[in-house]
Amino acid sequence: MTKGVLVIARNNSKIDYVKQANWLAKRISKYLNLPTSIITDNAAYVNKHYPNTFDQVIEIPNEENYTHKSYKDGMYARTNLEFKNTARCDVYELTPYNETLLMDTDVAISNNTLANCFDENNDVMLYKDAVELSNWRDLSEFEYISPNSIDFYWATVVFFRKSPVAKILFDCVKHVQQNWQHYRNLYQITNPVFRNDFAFSIAVHIMNGNKKGNFIKQLPGTLYYITDRDLLIEETDGVFKFLVEKKDSTGYFPVKITGENVHIINKFSLGRYIDEQS
Amino acid sequence: MNNLNFTIFAQNSNFDYIQQACLAAMSIHHTNPGSNICLITNDVVPKKYQHLFEHVVPIPFGDKSKKSTWKVENRWKIYHATPYEETAVIDSDMLVLDNLQHWKTTLDNYDLYYTNKVQTYRGEWADNTYYRKSFRNHQLPNLYAGFHWFKRCEFSHNFYKWLELVMNNWELFYGQFAGGKYFQNFPSIDVSSAIVTKILQCEDKITSNTTYPTFTHMKLKCQGWDKIYVDSWQQQIGTYLDNDCNLKIGNFKQSGIFHYTEKSFCNQQIIQTYENKLGISNE
Repeated sequence: MTKGVLVIARNNSKIDYVKQANWLAKRISKYLNLPTSIITDNAAYVNKHYPNTFDQVIEIPNEENYTHKSYKDGMYARTNLEFKNTARCDVYELTPYNETLLMDTDVAISNNTLANCFDENNDVMLYKDAVELSNWRDLSEFEYISPNSIDFYWATVVFFRKSPVAKILFDCVKHVQQNWQHYRNLYQITNPVFRNDFAFSIAVHIMNGNKKGNFIKQLPGTLYYITDRDLLIEETDGVFKFLVEKKDSTGYFPVKITGENVHIINKFSLGRYIDEQS
Repeated sequence: MNNLNFTIFAQNSNFDYIQQACLAAMSIHHTNPGSNICLITNDVVPKKYQHLFEHVVPIPFGDKSKKSTWKVENRWKIYHATPYEETAVIDSDMLVLDNLQHWKTTLDNYDLYYTNKVQTYRGEWADNTYYRKSFRNHQLPNLYAGFHWFKRCEFSHNFYKWLELVMNNWELFYGQFAGGKYFQNFPSIDVSSAIVTKILQCEDKITSNTTYPTFTHMKLKCQGWDKIYVDSWQQQIGTYLDNDCNLKIGNFKQSGIFHYTEKSFCNQQIIQTYENKLGISNE
């Protein structure tokens, strides 16, 4: 039974996701003792810059029909960039492993909790709940995918085992993606940009029989996150220091967290930090 | 194990509660084909619906609610009017969406059982404190008579005798146990049942924290919505009933007992769908 971590990295004009993937793969090796494979639309770039990092480099075609979305960099900067996020539903077919931990490149792994996935009987696991570090923000958008609608699940980390259940889930995600406008209307999602969190949430809801349920189980441990309005300052041996936006947006306050897995949604801040380390 | 037999109380005012009761009965026949249904009413049941009811029983002991529109004053008589040794009572504005016979396994452990928590359309436990201030402020057991069940026995008989006493003297008892008219200036079967339970100190004997029996309670302000700009839950989310009478509210398939609470829900389209499913013609 092969097992490993899989990441998707498709650079846009400003953000080097491959660089993040390289950084993450080293942390995965350190904390989870697992190989990491990468799905990318530019294998030559990966092989040139990071020839020894990845277990396998899986090349997919360049995405032509990508959308755009706003990327923030702390409280004061934002830019509109290409958003290439349509390959996640193909991961079931693309993964080289029997048991796969699919992860965003901006998840800072700092402990071995997620290694327990592989000992569980559940063929699919996601996070439904994650903990935001400001402790003041209105997080209702992460509770339900729209105010009257279904539970929100994070597609940030997904464990799956090659199995009929996992196949159905990914097929369902693919179906939702292919019929996004319909499902967007059905689930009252106002933002037109396709989002994997929503597609996975809808697929989980459908697999729960269109009811609230626990057919799909939650991943072990806690996933923390900072938003793109917050900043990563430094990290040493799993001790992260962040600057988090104040409630009145007059500045930042410092937050330190030790030995926890943190989703660093501010990609620019993460990129700067990685550059400083290299 | 005997089937779950249902009794519905319906008394027309300026609204046709008999039509609601007939819809509820159709839903029971669709999902619980082995169950019998009794309707307690003084009103006329349309001919095409009469076969839905094994018994149609007149309200005994006169009509105590002639001056009221909500018509709850007679509800304590259900115990005396039902023909069944074991009776599941549901409100007329409910749909039974699943076979509930497995509930008997739990109910058989009790002489009398009240639901003490209800769900939202999402299947989450509802926070009903907006509607239940007197319950909270006066430490009344959080009971819902919308679904309750009893065996004909000494304990239930005693409970219902007390319920008769409380409902016939509700102003006195509400003043003593529920804050009086400041909280509620009309009698309610839920508050009255809670007061009786408190007097008899029998909460542990008549309810439990199990996940069922329960029902989905569609009162607007207990659905867990942060923002409500409308007066009706039907303006906030859609209702979808397919030809097999599977009900979806918003994005959620409904199950168990669905307490729609708003009279306009019982519309011709819903009624016609059930009639078609059960082969009831208008001729």
